[in-house]
Amino acid sequence: MNFELTEEQQLIGQSAREFGKEYLEPIAVDLDHTGNFPKAVVDGLAKHDFLGLLLPADFGGAEAGFVSYVEVIESLSRYSAAVASIVNNHTIAAYTIQHWGTAAQKKQYLHDMAKGELLGGFAIYEHGPTPGVGPDALVAVKHAEGYVLNGKKAYVRNAGEAGVYVVFATTDPALGAKALTAFLVKADTIGIKVGEKLETMGLKGCPVADITFENVVLPESALLGAVNGGVAISAKALAVASVAEAAQTVGIGQAAVEHAAAYAKQRVQFGKPVATLQAIQTLLAEVATDCHLARLGLQNAALLIEEGKPFEVEAAMIKSFLVRLGSKMLLDTCQVEGGFGYSEFMPLPRLFRDIAGTNLLDAPGDFPEKLIAASIA
Amino acid sequence: MSILSPEQQAIKQAAKDFVAKHIIPFAAQYDKSGEFHPYLLEASKESKIFGMAVPKEYGGLDYSALTQALVLEEWGYGCAGMGTTLAASVLSMDSVLVAGNDEQKRRYFTPMLNAEIGSFGLTEPGAGSDAGAGKTTAVKVGNEYILNGTKCWITNGGFASVYVIYALTDPAAGMKGISAFIVERGLPGFTIGTVDHKLGIRSSNTVELLLKDVHIPVTNLLGKEGEGMKIAMKTLDMARPAIAALSVGLAQRSLDECVKHVQKTFTGKSYPGQTLQFKLADMQILVDAARNSLHEAMRLRDAGLPYSKESAISKTFCSDVAMQVTTTAVSLMGTYGYIELGKYMRDSKIMQIYEGTNQIQRLVISRAVLAPPPAAAVAQKAGN
Amino acid sequence: MPKCLVCYKWTLDEQDIKIKPEDLSLDSSRAKGKISDFDRNAIEEAALLVEKNGGAVDALSYGTPTVKQSLKDCLSRGPEKAFWIGDASAETADASVTANVLAAAIRKLGQYDLILCGEGSSDLFNQQTAPRLAALLGLPCVSFVNRLSVEGDVVKATRKLEDCVEAVTVKTPVVISVLSEINKPRIPSLKQVLGASKKPNEELKVADLGLKPEDLQPKAVRKSVKGFVMQRKNVIYKESSAADNVAKLKSSLASEGLC
Repeated sequence: MNFELTEEQQLIGQSAREFGKEYLEPIAVDLDHTGNFPKAVVDGLAKHDFLGLLLPADFGGAEAGFVSYVEVIESLSRYSAAVASIVNNHTIAAYTIQHWGTAAQKKQYLHDMAKGELLGGFAIYEHGPTPGVGPDALVAVKHAEGYVLNGKKAYVRNAGEAGVYVVFATTDPALGAKALTAFLVKADTIGIKVGEKLETMGLKGCPVADITFENVVLPESALLGAVNGGVAISAKALAVASVAEAAQTVGIGQAAVEHAAAYAKQRVQFGKPVATLQAIQTLLAEVATDCHLARLGLQNAALLIEEGKPFEVEAAMIKSFLVRLGSKMLLDTCQVEGGFGYSEFMPLPRLFRDIAGTNLLDAPGDFPEKLIAASIA
Repeated sequence: MSILSPEQQAIKQAAKDFVAKHIIPFAAQYDKSGEFHPYLLEASKESKIFGMAVPKEYGGLDYSALTQALVLEEWGYGCAGMGTTLAASVLSMDSVLVAGNDEQKRRYFTPMLNAEIGSFGLTEPGAGSDAGAGKTTAVKVGNEYILNGTKCWITNGGFASVYVIYALTDPAAGMKGISAFIVERGLPGFTIGTVDHKLGIRSSNTVELLLKDVHIPVTNLLGKEGEGMKIAMKTLDMARPAIAALSVGLAQRSLDECVKHVQKTFTGKSYPGQTLQFKLADMQILVDAARNSLHEAMRLRDAGLPYSKESAISKTFCSDVAMQVTTTAVSLMGTYGYIELGKYMRDSKIMQIYEGTNQIQRLVISRAVLAPPPAAAVAQKAGN
Repeated sequence: MPKCLVCYKWTLDEQDIKIKPEDLSLDSSRAKGKISDFDRNAIEEAALLVEKNGGAVDALSYGTPTVKQSLKDCLSRGPEKAFWIGDASAETADASVTANVLAAAIRKLGQYDLILCGEGSSDLFNQQTAPRLAALLGLPCVSFVNRLSVEGDVVKATRKLEDCVEAVTVKTPVVISVLSEINKPRIPSLKQVLGASKKPNEELKVADLGLKPEDLQPKAVRKSVKGFVMQRKNVIYKESSAADNVAKLKSSLASEGLC
């Protein structure tokens, strides 16, 4: 069993870290202040093939594997998790089209997505208890020309910047989530209204907004996968997304623990650097340990994805682990830095606000433990 | 929830009403801007709440420790930042309570009754947890002291009228050479430095204080020269539970908001499953246990019994609980939580840090835990 | 259409090296390899020249057998083919041995218009490889180059020296060593990284280079390497007056040989 990344994977990670240091580090603080979509940086990512990392060479992608992908996401996240978030949400949309799209759909969208000329978004969540249930649920009704969609999607990331959205609607409100169906919706389709950008406490720069659908007419060709096949598609896509998001969390945590360790080595209290105090050592050690184990866990899940093997349980496990221990990485490193870990003149508060936005349980009541338990009991 | 007297219930309800009217509607706005709520003090005048720890003989509300905790929990529930404004002011006046003479108490408690506030100036860039490592000096010249130095992360610094400043009257004696002084706002050489932009409690004003040849009369010395650290430690002992109270309020608030959202989301036939139910139950268990530990510590203090260990325990436990509950609330409620409940998570982190980090608290607690039992100590002595 | 050869060194990444506080010895067990910093600039400069003028870039490296790990990194940055010599002799090689081996390899590989090196390696920074290579190959050497252009068989270089900037014109073939400010090495795109494994590499064996045993004997032998750690002495002077404190400080510094 080889725990080492291949040479290519290491070099890809190295390129991502160099990109992060060169292009993300100088803008990260400003991006957090303004929340303005960093178009120049996204273009730069496209030029370095990061936006088409997983896509086949036929569509202009780099055709690198998922392990390389999570290596990139972790590396970018060390400098700006907001930018990594943009890449993640785009990539999951592209992944979905790549795996469930028809040849025509792939041709229509993937070339431009690989080039970064078309950004993707993934619209699954709603304000109700589950997608497809509730007064605002997005409903797709069969129509002469295809389908008509009405309703609202909640908290769509890359909203307003994406050119195409993977959208999940129910074809039968009585069946709710069971009749969930996926569609590809171009951003300029008539009847789509991207709501006001929502104010998140971190990951600023990756826009989040609700999207309303008012009599949106979609042709048959917009159907992605089978009718009522949306549950299977979204489950798999979200499982892949959770592994990618885990890499984001680990990248943020790694940046935090390195900063806190450097701080502890030079902060002198009681005549010695605080790094010599067992209390501080415990905090740093726990974060470093959790980071390390999470990384191994997500790399394992990533390898399974790359090899086309079943991975959903492993993906759920890493999500469960980080729901419990992800934010702790910043709670503990901020604690190491004390007052400095609370001052926005220093980097940790931004990392705190960013990491709190990863590994969220967005489908209320939908816990990863259910899947894990089902796999063993 | 411990059983309260009718008087305590009335005071708690009054605080609740005040918070609902003057704090909750403005909390989000001042969290966003990081500004001090300009009408908070004005609105507090009528209740004299900033004089809640001031003894009756000086015109104060003379609230028991438990009653103060009830008030602070309500303020923490409304906004931990504004609650910090109140807690820090009371903290500074606790030093006067501990070491002030009658004249000083009268002089400095009176403005508190009129919603002027106090500020506690101990921390310096090189003196955080190592509070005794401060370098601010106070040199006695004739019937004055001249103060020089820098204080940082001082709550209320930009808005207080009375400051308790700790400075070295005898640098060679190190920690034992620190004394406590009252410095009044506006004295020449006493200026406000940078304002700190914080992750949370953003409506609380946190600043640098700069002292350059600040002259104060000798009558502004609190207690005796060299007693500074003793006074500071006693003050912090008294004030720690205030942070515990803010934390309990903060935790309860985030839990309540969580529950509201769950109730709104799961309507009609849908109901939260067991996992979600149990997570909410765990949050309530922690908040209740935290509140009870705090009230126990306050009862000990009100009874005149030693409570240093319990004070440290309640500060540690309540702030840890707040951190855990507010963090769980965010991830549990998904992006809704990230948007709407993030403030509580940000506010919680400082509760584990200020007024003695929870690591320092654990030193205090473990010292008490590891100390030999009293009987053994007596036997030891007898054996000598 | 210049034919360029870049000589690069595969070194340890110094930020991974830890210093053992007990004896100041170096712990490199967790150190990863990297292409020496200035050599990266050399590779980049060659790639830029060829992008502008046509031609091709080959790369050459002499190191211990771990040098094999450098190939994809190098090939993702522009060169078309990488030649490598992975030999135990590199463990103790000094600048003269390195130059001997590289020169012998270059004689075997054939004619190049430009041979580029970094001004010095990121671990030892001897700055000897380029001048020694030039001497062994009988070629001109232009060092401290921060600007380079080629027109036909004429090379124009700017040298940044301590007290002046020198403009040099020289005819190919020539050995050039470059400073880091000459360019900003590209961040290889993913396609460039993945394309590296499709590019050829060739191992050269020391035994086939026609060297004499004494050519592989280092003339300078490294006896020991120690790290440097800043130690706090934590001494506080508590004399009665400032003047006395200063006097005490002065005598302390003098006893350390510092004044």
